Amino acid sequence: MVFPEPRLSFRGTRGGDAARVSPRPQIDHIRRPQILEAAVEVICERGLRNTRIADVAERAGTSPSAVLYWFQTKEELLAQAMIADEERFARELEGRLAEIDDPAEQLVAAIDACVEDDNWTMWIELWSRSLTDERLRGEREGLDRHWRAILARIVEDGVERGVFDPVDAEEAALALAALIDGLAVQVTLRDPALTEERMRKICIETAEHLLGVELGSVLRPPEEVGA
Amino acid sequence: MAAGTRERILEAACDLIAADGIDDVRIARVATRAGVSTALVHHYFSTREELLEEALTHSFETAGSERFSAATDPGASAAERLASAIDACMPHPGSQERDWVLWVELWLRAARDAGLRPLAADLYDRYRAWFAEIIEAGLRSGEFTSDRSAPEIADFAVALVDGFGVRAVIHAPRATIAEVRNQVAKRLAAELGIEAEELGATG
Repeated sequence: MVFPEPRLSFRGTRGGDAARVSPRPQIDHIRRPQILEAAVEVICERGLRNTRIADVAERAGTSPSAVLYWFQTKEELLAQAMIADEERFARELEGRLAEIDDPAEQLVAAIDACVEDDNWTMWIELWSRSLTDERLRGEREGLDRHWRAILARIVEDGVERGVFDPVDAEEAALALAALIDGLAVQVTLRDPALTEERMRKICIETAEHLLGVELGSVLRPPEEVGA
Repeated sequence: MAAGTRERILEAACDLIAADGIDDVRIARVATRAGVSTALVHHYFSTREELLEEALTHSFETAGSERFSAATDPGASAAERLASAIDACMPHPGSQERDWVLWVELWLRAARDAGLRPLAADLYDRYRAWFAEIIEAGLRSGEFTSDRSAPEIADFAVALVDGFGVRAVIHAPRATIAEVRNQVAKRLAAELGIEAEELGATG
């Protein structure tokens, strides 16, 4: 599939476009998310350092100049890709949670979403980048805060409704998030001693201890997950 | 002398991996930093891959044996040993912080490169067993109580240390070593039926 090259040069006649009849709004809609998705794929396969604009362009079915049209630099593209991927995870989870009324069930759904997520590599890349890249460190913090807020809301709701013990929701959310992070590393590394099933078991048991609740009745059999 | 040189080369490699990331490490730079010739580096390590793997293993083994010795004081209670173990896993400035940077590098590489996973699995096995042994001793002596087994609690402990430790190493907000250690101590202590202070929590 061949996409038409944008007629505008990268060096920025963007501001002057208004006067032209421009297909840009459509490209805006289609191309940017496609590029981000392609970037996420390539980053997961090759790692951040080995991801080139050319690779992303090829994966997205477009040209390097088209990629650079939307993202000024490779650094910008990669940062946006990582952020977009994490935001997608949060959005999908929030969508799932909106359909569940019981806080205990919501908690299990949140844990399941983490166990089943196969994009932890991206999160590990963010940690690694955060060591030296201030900007990405800030972005990671924002994403982490958002994720912990989702967990905290579930806990708060459960405490309010007497389903969970009266605990500090933020502290409980932090403990669960840290636990999940640590377990996910080993699962991502395909450690034979720390399978997805074991990760799930440890998370569920920990949540039960933390919140004084039985989660057995809301458990469903673990889904088959592809390699 | 030979052992000393090999170690010097590994230490140089570790420093460079921590500073520049594993993908940017070049044999020539390792050699310069170690004060030896490139040829000598090649004498000890046939490929760059081998050097990198050995460097990571060296880092963890050094860290591991330091940690082991810290936690095997004969007079120490299981709680004291566990507190030592938790503290030894924190990214204290200096060599421990460097080890942490290398640990995250290992995660990143092994996540994509199946060739490094056996090394990672072996290191994690040792890491988990180390915690399990201390916890088992505490359960047996009655110092700790839990309805989970020692290996299960060890899995929990290792994951907590990793999940909290990484926050400290990337300097996340409210994740100083003290704060992170306190969180780990609090959660692990609750699991073992003891006070958080016994595991080194402060304040």
